[in-house]
Amino acid sequence: MLRVDGLEVAYGDLQVVWGVSFQVPKDSIVAILGPNGAGKTTTLLALMGLLPVKAGSATFQGDSLVGLPTHQMVERGLVMIPEERAAFASLTVEENLDLGAYTPRARPSRAATLDEVYDTFPRLAERKAQLAGTLSGGERQMLAIGKALMARPELLILDEPSLGLAPIIVERIFEVIRDIRDRGVSVLMVEQHLEMALETADYGYILEMGSIVTEGAGSELEADARVQEAYLSL
Amino acid sequence: MRRSVTVVATVVTLGALIGIGIFSDSQHILTLSIQTMVLAALASSWNILGGFAGQISLGHAAFFGLGALIARELWLGGTSLAVAVVVAVAVTSVTSAVVGVPMLRFREIYFAIGTLALGVAVFITAGNLWPGISSLPAEALRNYDFTGPYFMALGVLVVAVVVSIWLKRSKVGLGMMTVRDDEEAAKATGVDVFAHKMIAFVVSASLAALAGSAFAYFSVSYYPNFPFSVIWTLEAILVVFIGGVGTIVGPLLGAVFFIVGRDALPTDIDEFQVVLFGLLFIVVVLLLPGGLIEAADRLAPSKKRETPRPQQTNRQQDKGKELT
Amino acid sequence: MSSQLILQSLVSGILVGGIYGLVALGLALAFGVLKVLDVAHGELVMLGGYASFFAFTYWGLDPFASMPLVFVVMFGFGLGLYLLLFRYVTRTEIRTRIKNSLLISFGLVLVLQALAVRFFTADERTISTAYSFEAFTIGPVRVPVVRLAGLVVAVVAAVALEWMMSRTRFGRALRATSEDWTRAALTGVNVRRVYLIAFAISAALAGIAGSMVSLGYSVSPNIGLGWTLNALIVVVLAGLGSMRGIVVAGVFLGLVESLAGVWIGGQYREVAALVLFLVILSFRPQGFFGRAHA
Repeated sequence: MLRVDGLEVAYGDLQVVWGVSFQVPKDSIVAILGPNGAGKTTTLLALMGLLPVKAGSATFQGDSLVGLPTHQMVERGLVMIPEERAAFASLTVEENLDLGAYTPRARPSRAATLDEVYDTFPRLAERKAQLAGTLSGGERQMLAIGKALMARPELLILDEPSLGLAPIIVERIFEVIRDIRDRGVSVLMVEQHLEMALETADYGYILEMGSIVTEGAGSELEADARVQEAYLSL
Repeated sequence: MRRSVTVVATVVTLGALIGIGIFSDSQHILTLSIQTMVLAALASSWNILGGFAGQISLGHAAFFGLGALIARELWLGGTSLAVAVVVAVAVTSVTSAVVGVPMLRFREIYFAIGTLALGVAVFITAGNLWPGISSLPAEALRNYDFTGPYFMALGVLVVAVVVSIWLKRSKVGLGMMTVRDDEEAAKATGVDVFAHKMIAFVVSASLAALAGSAFAYFSVSYYPNFPFSVIWTLEAILVVFIGGVGTIVGPLLGAVFFIVGRDALPTDIDEFQVVLFGLLFIVVVLLLPGGLIEAADRLAPSKKRETPRPQQTNRQQDKGKELT
Repeated sequence: MSSQLILQSLVSGILVGGIYGLVALGLALAFGVLKVLDVAHGELVMLGGYASFFAFTYWGLDPFASMPLVFVVMFGFGLGLYLLLFRYVTRTEIRTRIKNSLLISFGLVLVLQALAVRFFTADERTISTAYSFEAFTIGPVRVPVVRLAGLVVAVVAAVALEWMMSRTRFGRALRATSEDWTRAALTGVNVRRVYLIAFAISAALAGIAGSMVSLGYSVSPNIGLGWTLNALIVVVLAGLGSMRGIVVAGVFLGLVESLAGVWIGGQYREVAALVLFLVILSFRPQGFFGRAHA
């Protein structure tokens, strides 16, 4: 579904990502793991058109992503939830969710999707009229996911979904991620939280210093000695 | 190789300027030269605060005007020029230090707006307190000798350039530039951000006052609030950017380009000169942030430095082979 | 000092404050959404004023009748200005954006002002309609109709803007983009288009402010910077980045100037306002309604 080949990203003269390749097949959860500063977020931002791509290609359902404006990617079903505070603090929960269905594709089924989201996250329904900035960390992450779901994604990208959250909430989040996959939405996530991510993911890539050093099925990677090594170096 | 070229160029330019001052009879050339040198000095002074330390001040004319005002009042009142200039610079220095304490606490955009407000307030006040035209006494007008003002302007310019060079090469200057590039990072590495901003502010103001004194000495008659006008700030900024902000030569080149250019264009399209320079300025900021200096640099391209690829065995390929 | 004088000053202050607010609305919109500081905003006011003036002089159109026309014309001008110029500024990250837009709009000030002198001459122009000298008399105070109009238009514009921002889809996209354009893009918002339209609206607002200025006061090529400075002060007073309370802050500024004029003397009205501004900036940089920055 999503295929990235030899992606290179640079900030001016400073190159950060060196020829990264990965795939996200349909109905699967793929994780990109690695220590801080490895270039995970940079890769995602470049993929979504928020950073210039120096070289390489990326296709989503056959269409090239490089050069495509970000909002059009969302329109085609490629939705990313950025790291932390992905919701708009100055809008209410409902306004945020409503805004989530901004694209023409998601607009018609807005009401129905909203009901689905409230079903998945009853806490959000309770706090409909509250300003997103006043929610707790876990609630805000749920709002971020809910908002992304409003866009009726075909592939959902999550940047560090577990960051700054309590373990119980993290478990719930990963539960939701599995649920999303089961409903037919593919997932790509970037994580530092190795254990949970590898348990949930079908396939994983380890990114270190801007390059993929290892890849494999989730269970394989868990056992892999190199993964242990990278983990220890965190 | 570069170093000796610079030295030769400086000597030649200085020689030429001195030569003009001694030998030229043309009022037109002398006037233009003095105007250029004063503007160049003012631009250099702004460059220290804006180009080296990265603080965009929109009220710079306040110090130019203050220097001009004090120098003019004292000198026309009978004090010797030297004393008048020293007092002008000293008072402006102290004033800038006092003003700088609250002003420099403002970040970026607030600093720009704050200095703009201050500059306008001072302009209006000066106009209110000194409404009458300031003219040289009739006798001085009749026997106006360009030599004095010319060499004063030249001296002022030399001082401004020397200070700029010294500053740029010094530790203090380096500190200023780190503040410009990233204030937070500078703070994190132990640089006293406020102190550096203050030094830039005071030095910049003092040099502006010096330039103002030169203006006061040279000008025949003007409204005392004229040197306080925001036009001077705008022209200085315009000139600095066109020439190359942050460089030593930039403000000088820009001033020459501006004054000579303005003079060379036919006068019946007065407004279009302004339009042209305005457009040029916009183009520079957008496309050529380094101004004329960068343009010259680009014509003689240097090797581009790329980041080296981090060392690591290409494990992906190994692993990939294992899986397939 | 007679109470009548003071009251009259207060009223004058409120009335001119309305226009300060109207001009500031446009500036706040451009800055809030695009994070672009356009110091040529006052020049747009000037142009709107001239547009209104010429519509009146050559076509006999009353400024209120020509207001929609001026709005549209200046909207178009704003579109052009964005596409030709500010579009390139918005390509950079926010910190450099503010610096660059400040400098670039500087250049724009020079250009627009010079062109205005060339094409309109340096003369001051005022629109004199049949009702130009009419005024309401409330007790000892005289309220000129043409100046009251400015305040009314300001309030209407502010309310309309607020309605758009909170009730329409586009308005919500505007607010989202103001808060964080990256996140807005990831939500599917066409940020370029939002920028374009927001900037055009900002220019249109400046235009109709100009209409009111040429009706109730006067226009000439060099009035731009003065209005920009006042608008900047109002925007900062209300809180940089916030759209709320702009008209209120404008009225506040007008009042301060007026009262200063009465107590210190007309020559120092602006100085007093500027000094007060600096004082407020020192102690409460987030303004009356803004949120404190980290």
